[in-house]
Amino acid sequence: MWWKILLFFWIAVLSSIGIVTPIAGDLGSLGMYAQMDAEKIIPVKFTVVDKGKVLTSKDGGGWLLRGRDAYGREADFHFPERPDNLDRAEGYFVSARYDSEHHRVEVHEVRGDAPAFSFPFIPGLEERAKIIFFHVPMAWMTVIAFLVSMWYGIRYLRKKDMEDDYRSAASAGLGLLFCILATTTGSLWAKFNWGSFWNWDPRETSIFVLLLIYGAYFALRSAIEIEEKRATLSAVYSIIAAVTVPFFIFIMPRIMPGLHPGSADDANAGPVLSSGGMDAAMRMVLYSMLGGFLALYIWLMRIRMRLHRIQLKRAETAP
Amino acid sequence: MIRQALAVFRKDLASELRTRYAINALLMFVVVTLAVIMFALAGETLSPGALTGMLWVVMFFAAMSGLSRSFVAEEERGTTMTLQLLATPMGVYLGKLLFNLVLVMALNLFIVLLFLLTMDQFVVKQFGLFWVVMLLGSLGIASATTIIAAIIAKANTKGTLFPVLSFPVLLPLLMAGINATKIAVEDQHWDAVWPDLQLLASYIVVITTVSFLLFDFVWKD
Repeated sequence: MWWKILLFFWIAVLSSIGIVTPIAGDLGSLGMYAQMDAEKIIPVKFTVVDKGKVLTSKDGGGWLLRGRDAYGREADFHFPERPDNLDRAEGYFVSARYDSEHHRVEVHEVRGDAPAFSFPFIPGLEERAKIIFFHVPMAWMTVIAFLVSMWYGIRYLRKKDMEDDYRSAASAGLGLLFCILATTTGSLWAKFNWGSFWNWDPRETSIFVLLLIYGAYFALRSAIEIEEKRATLSAVYSIIAAVTVPFFIFIMPRIMPGLHPGSADDANAGPVLSSGGMDAAMRMVLYSMLGGFLALYIWLMRIRMRLHRIQLKRAETAP
Repeated sequence: MIRQALAVFRKDLASELRTRYAINALLMFVVVTLAVIMFALAGETLSPGALTGMLWVVMFFAAMSGLSRSFVAEEERGTTMTLQLLATPMGVYLGKLLFNLVLVMALNLFIVLLFLLTMDQFVVKQFGLFWVVMLLGSLGIASATTIIAAIIAKANTKGTLFPVLSFPVLLPLLMAGINATKIAVEDQHWDAVWPDLQLLASYIVVITTVSFLLFDFVWKD
């Protein structure tokens, strides 16, 4: 019982951390937009270099502060209006853009003190980067549930225990649920980031194939009436399908250019995980979330198995 | 085992030649499909790349309509039991695989020839590569569909279930095959096709091995 409460809080806390944590850029992201001549205002955090040393700007008034970002790079930050706590603040969290003409950062709005914990600003993703904490664990659980389903399928073929067959089907059902969630969240996100709901990117193809496999698995199960035959054939089918899945999950997305991280044209691509370019804080939240989703999956599996046992018992005692 | 496989193959071939199911129904299916495509595209100029996609669509659906026959026919005629008694599972599987292979190769050859004759815009620049891809594609289709035909022969809704189960399993083959055929048709460099050919070859090896290992479970009642 206690671990379910713990799990509930674990996922709730991680979700709020994932959603609430501000995205804060540094001087690098400011410089990037300045080079592209984009008049884009982005969130930036910095620490004040010499606390208390404030200069009045020579041209056009305003206040100048020397600030340092997380990588130790320094620049002048220009405030048009005097912030309330100008003499005391350790650091600021502001909306700003780089002013190439005056070689300084033009602050548009003071959002508050510099947050201790923040995620980096990724050009092109910005706040939308936070989907990674939900979408990626869902996609992982889709694959893991499928592998578990196949594992119990193999066990059924070896031991002919109907319990294993039910475990296999239950895991496939949960996998289908996670698959639908991952597909819809990804598709909605793609509309806002890449411009359309579906782009046939290799990873989108692979999740689509998993959806088809799950669909075919349940279509096959419903078409066979004899229980033993159904268990055997669906186990065999899930193994055959599992053999083709690596082609989609691990081979296709990496030999083809695509939109997702880890594609053939991505410099950070690794053999299985390509988190090399990911910020340490984000990686920590992502992996904790993966653990949370895994525990959630185990919980749901246990509920389904208990339900199955109750149904069996009722079928036995029924007249 | 090889002798049994050849015997099963000869039996299937003999019963095929007697009923002429494939020769009549499948060849007519191909002709009808091509006619539909030609009517639908009358007067349109299509790129060779688009026609390559069309070719694979015809090949896929021809395979889907014909290749489940080998096992479904045994079940319908009620000869499964006899075959189980007379031959080892390996022999049955190899024989059926061989028969499906011959059937799908003949079918694909017919489709390609008809395509080349009727579609003026379908010009293949590299015939050597094109035939290699067609051969690998036929091998892959035959090996993947044989085991799935064995599975669906035991199910209730055989006809509709076959493409549903086959498509996700066949998709890596279709994607690599379509890509490689496009390269052969559009005459790109051989280097570009190498990953696809590797993928096709590894797919065939993997699917055939897994089918070999699992056929026992499907076949025995």
